[in-house]
Amino acid sequence: MVKDGDYVAVFNSVHRVMEAERLLKDKKLKILVIPAPRALAADCGLALRYSEDLREEVEALLTAAELLPRHLYRKQGDTFVEIGAKA
Amino acid sequence: MKSLDVRGMACPMPVVSVKRALESAEGGVRVLLDDGAPRENVTRFATGRGYTVTEEAVEGGFALAITGGEQQPAEPAAAKEGPVVMLVGADRLGEGPEELGRLLMKNYIITLLDLDKLPDRIFFVNSGVLLTVEGSEVLEALEALGNRGVEVLSCGVCLDYFKKREQLAAGAVTNMFTIAESMMKAGNVVRL
Repeated sequence: MVKDGDYVAVFNSVHRVMEAERLLKDKKLKILVIPAPRALAADCGLALRYSEDLREEVEALLTAAELLPRHLYRKQGDTFVEIGAKA
Repeated sequence: MKSLDVRGMACPMPVVSVKRALESAEGGVRVLLDDGAPRENVTRFATGRGYTVTEEAVEGGFALAITGGEQQPAEPAAAKEGPVVMLVGADRLGEGPEELGRLLMKNYIITLLDLDKLPDRIFFVNSGVLLTVEGSEVLEALEALGNRGVEVLSCGVCLDYFKKREQLAAGAVTNMFTIAESMMKAGNVVRL
């Protein structure tokens, strides 16, 4: 479900991920809520998946709405590389 | 050896056809298929189930000879023989807030992709068919399941009720006879 180069934003709360989904879908952005990949999943286990071309817009909207994920990863080959811990 | 021609078929039909043929054929199956995704998916499916695949290039595609037996992984003694059938009776999982139920159903279907053992067939009935039509967020997951040999089947009456028959975007249409018969012959029925 996560292709090479895709971004996976893992949230720490189901409410936040649903709010983020609503916000981004209202803007017609092609994001998908997925179970956080097992290699990354901790507690709530939900994540947003989006592609490189949407990154800027998605993250700007999430920042403005104070809905930044707990962790952000990028899929590279078989592994997930953390892009930098967010708030 | 049974022969099969799946050239020109769209994914996941090549895998589904080969799976059906292997279930009913003794001595393996010889299948003609297109290069690219069908060739890769059928090869992955068959080798994943312990078959030996020999391929040769032929005019207009590839011919794969799929032989050998399916190596069954060790099953718990209590598991009954027969296919595993999953019945998805709604577009949401469990009782509670609709929004949460939809999220959980979507998660469940995507999570199936991480499992080694998959259902042989998934029937979508009632509002479950909303998961197999255009606009559903699990179409990508259903296609991936199809490529691993899972048959995705939607209830025709249900599609008609929701006026979505033309929008079916994953798997095929089925009827209640097939659903009922398949459930009665199943080794295990998983109802969502």
